[in-house]
Amino acid sequence: MLIKFPNMKKLVVLFLFLSVSMYAQKEMPSVSIKSVDNKSFNVKSDFAEKDKLYVFSFWATWCVPCINELDAINENYAKWSKELNMEVVAVSIDDTRTQKRVKPLLNGKKWPYTVLLDTNQDLKRALSVANVPYTVVVKNKKIVYIHNGYSQGGEKELYNKLKSL
Amino acid sequence: MKKLLLLLLPFAVGSLYAQENDTIQKKDYGKVYGGFESNAQWYLNDKGRDLRHPEDPIRSNNYLLVNYQLKGFSAGVKVESYEPNSLLNYNPGFKGTDLGTYYAAYKTSKLELTAGYFYEQFGSGMLLRAWEDRALGINTALRGGRIVYRPSDNVRLTALYGRQRSGFGVANGDIYGFDSDINLSSLLKFEVSDLSFGASYVGRYEKIDLPDPAFKAMTNMTALRFNFIHDAFYVSGEYNYKDEDGVLTPQNTLTNDFVKPGNAVLVNFGYSKSGLGIDATLRRMENMKILTERTPTPTADLQSTSLNFNDKVLNFTPALTKQHHSNLANIYVFQAQSKVDYIDPTIMKAGETGGQIDVFYDFAKGTAVGGKYGTKVAVNMSSWYNLPGQYRSVPADYNTDFFGVGEKYFSDYNIEIKKRFSETWLTGFYYINQYYNKRWLEGGDLVKTNIVTGEATYNFSENKSIRVEAEHMWADADKKNWAGGTVELNINDKYSFYVWDIYNYGNDDSSQQTHYYNVGGAYRVGATRIAANYGRQRGGLVCVGGVCRFVPESTGFTLSISTAF
Repeated sequence: MLIKFPNMKKLVVLFLFLSVSMYAQKEMPSVSIKSVDNKSFNVKSDFAEKDKLYVFSFWATWCVPCINELDAINENYAKWSKELNMEVVAVSIDDTRTQKRVKPLLNGKKWPYTVLLDTNQDLKRALSVANVPYTVVVKNKKIVYIHNGYSQGGEKELYNKLKSL
Repeated sequence: MKKLLLLLLPFAVGSLYAQENDTIQKKDYGKVYGGFESNAQWYLNDKGRDLRHPEDPIRSNNYLLVNYQLKGFSAGVKVESYEPNSLLNYNPGFKGTDLGTYYAAYKTSKLELTAGYFYEQFGSGMLLRAWEDRALGINTALRGGRIVYRPSDNVRLTALYGRQRSGFGVANGDIYGFDSDINLSSLLKFEVSDLSFGASYVGRYEKIDLPDPAFKAMTNMTALRFNFIHDAFYVSGEYNYKDEDGVLTPQNTLTNDFVKPGNAVLVNFGYSKSGLGIDATLRRMENMKILTERTPTPTADLQSTSLNFNDKVLNFTPALTKQHHSNLANIYVFQAQSKVDYIDPTIMKAGETGGQIDVFYDFAKGTAVGGKYGTKVAVNMSSWYNLPGQYRSVPADYNTDFFGVGEKYFSDYNIEIKKRFSETWLTGFYYINQYYNKRWLEGGDLVKTNIVTGEATYNFSENKSIRVEAEHMWADADKKNWAGGTVELNINDKYSFYVWDIYNYGNDDSSQQTHYYNVGGAYRVGATRIAANYGRQRGGLVCVGGVCRFVPESTGFTLSISTAF
C-alpha cells in the first residue's frame, strides 16, 4: 500500500528533522557499474588510491557541452597528469538509444579516459545528477568538489580548483 | 499549508547544503544525501498566437529525494509535489503532493536486497525497463522486491517481483522477472577478448476480462543476448520473444480473434580504434509493445489514454536514430514503432525494421584536412520501415516476412564537422536530411527536409565566450520552411545567458508564421543550478532518449532549480 500523508505537517517535520540531523560526510556512494570494455567497477572502492584526485565527469553522446568539456580536458590531459596525481573517469548516462554510439565516438575522439556506462542510471540517481555535464571530484573516497555545466574555458577553472584540492 | 511547504522546500535543502562542511566525524551515524528539483511554469496569454493560458496559470513539478545510508544499509523516500497542478499535458495521475517512491536496501559485496520501489533494465530493455524521466513525466519504477546476487565478478543474477508505478499508485499487472549476466572471459582465459552472455525471463500476470480467453493471463517473455569484444572489433546480439497475447484493436479493446506472439532481434557490431569509429545497429521488432495492464486506461475527458502519457508501459524501446541538438532538427522526430497499430485499412503496422550506421573520424593535427588543431567528422545514417508481409484489416490479421522492408517510416542522413581554427575560434557545421512519413506516424503529409546549421564559438578571454548558431530547414510539406538563430553568452563558469528564435516563415497559412523566441539564463554553483526562461513553446513532441511527450503550444516564464546534497 502506498503510504499516504494525511496532512502536510508531517512533511514539514520531516524537513525540519533533515535540516537538523544533516551532517553530510559526502562519501562516494558504493555503486557498481560496467566500463565500456565490459569490466565491472565499484565507483567507491575501485577509485581509491591514496590522495589521488578522481574527476568523475558525467556526459552523454547527445550532450554537446559535455563532449566539448571532455575534448578540452583531453587537450590538456598529458600536462595535467604530469603535474597532478589525477585521473578522469567519464561516466556516460546514455540510455539504450544512444549507448551503442559511445564506443565508436570514444575512439573517434581519442579520449584516454576510463569510460563507465551508467545505463540504469544507478550512479546518476545516487548522486542526484539532474543535468549533464556534471563533474564530481573524489579524493580518498570523499567528494571534495562538485560542479555542473560547462562553458568554454571551464576546464581551466577546473584545473585551478584541482590544484587547490 | 501546501504553499508554505513549497516555500520551505528550498530552504530545507539550503540548510542541508550549508551544514555539510561544519561537522567533524567521529562515530559513524551514517549519511544523509539526496537531491531536489523543481520545474515551475507561469503560463501567459499570448495575443500574437491567440493563446489563452490554462486554468491554474502557475504550475510546478517538484521532487525531493532523501536517502540515508549506514554501512550496507540504505533507505530513501521521494516526495513529489505537483502544485497547484502539474505542468501542461503531464500524466493526470501526477497531482497534489504525496510520497512518490520509497525503498530500503541492504548491500554486501555479493548480495543486494531491495524492498519498495526500484528501477531496473534487462539487456537493452526490450522486455523490461522500469525507469524515471522527469521531463517526460515517466516514472515506472517497480514496487516490490529485488535480489541481486554476484557470486563472482563474472556473474550477476537478478530476481524481482513488483507492480509498476502509475501516478501515485501502482498498476494492476504483476511483474515477475529473472535476469542473468555471465562473463566467460576469465573462464576461457581470454586476454584481449571479452565474451559475455545473458538470459532473461519476464512474466506479466493480469486477469483477462473476456469469456473463454484465447490467451493466457500470464504472458511469458524470454530473451537471450551475447556480447563479444576482440581488440578493436565488437559484436553483440539480442533475441526477445513474447508469448501469444491479445492485440489491441484500434478502439483499444481486446478480442479472442486477434492474438499474436511478438519478437525482436537486435544486432550491433563495430570497429573502433584510435581516430576512427564505425558502428552499425540493426533492429527488427514485431508486436513488442508490452503494457503492464493490457488495456490502456482512458483519461477523465476520454480524449486520450494512459498510452499517450507513456504510462503503464513495461518496456520502453527508444528509436535508434541520432539525437540532434539543433532546434529545427528536433521538429520531425522518429519514435520507435514496436506496437501493432491498425489506423485504417490503408495504414496497418506490425512493428519496425531498419538500422543505423555511425562513422566517427578524426583528421589528425598537422594533416592537410586536420590543420593545426585537427578536424572531427561524424556521419550518421538511419532508415526505418514497417514490416513487410500481408495485412488484413477485417478480421484483423497479418503475416510478416522476416527479411525485407515495408512502407518507409523515417530516414535521417547527417554529417557533422567540427573544427578549431585557433585558440579562440571553434566552429561546427551540420547537414541533416530527413524523411518523415507523417501520414503513417501521426497523421498528416509526408515531409522531406534538408537542414543546415553552422555554429561558431569565440573566446574573449580564458572563461568568457560567445556562441552563435544559425540554422535553416527546407521542408516540402506540413509547416514548410523554418529559420532559426541562437546567441549564447558564457560570462564564466557560473553565469550563462542565451536568446534564440525559430521562425516558421514558410508556413502556407500566414497567420501561423510564428516566431518562437526564447530568452533565458542559468546560474550554476557546485551541485546547484538555477535557470530561468521566458518565451514561446512550440507545440509538438518533446523527446528524451527517443521517447517523446506531446506538449501543447504555450507562452510564459519557466524557472528550474536543481541541487544535490
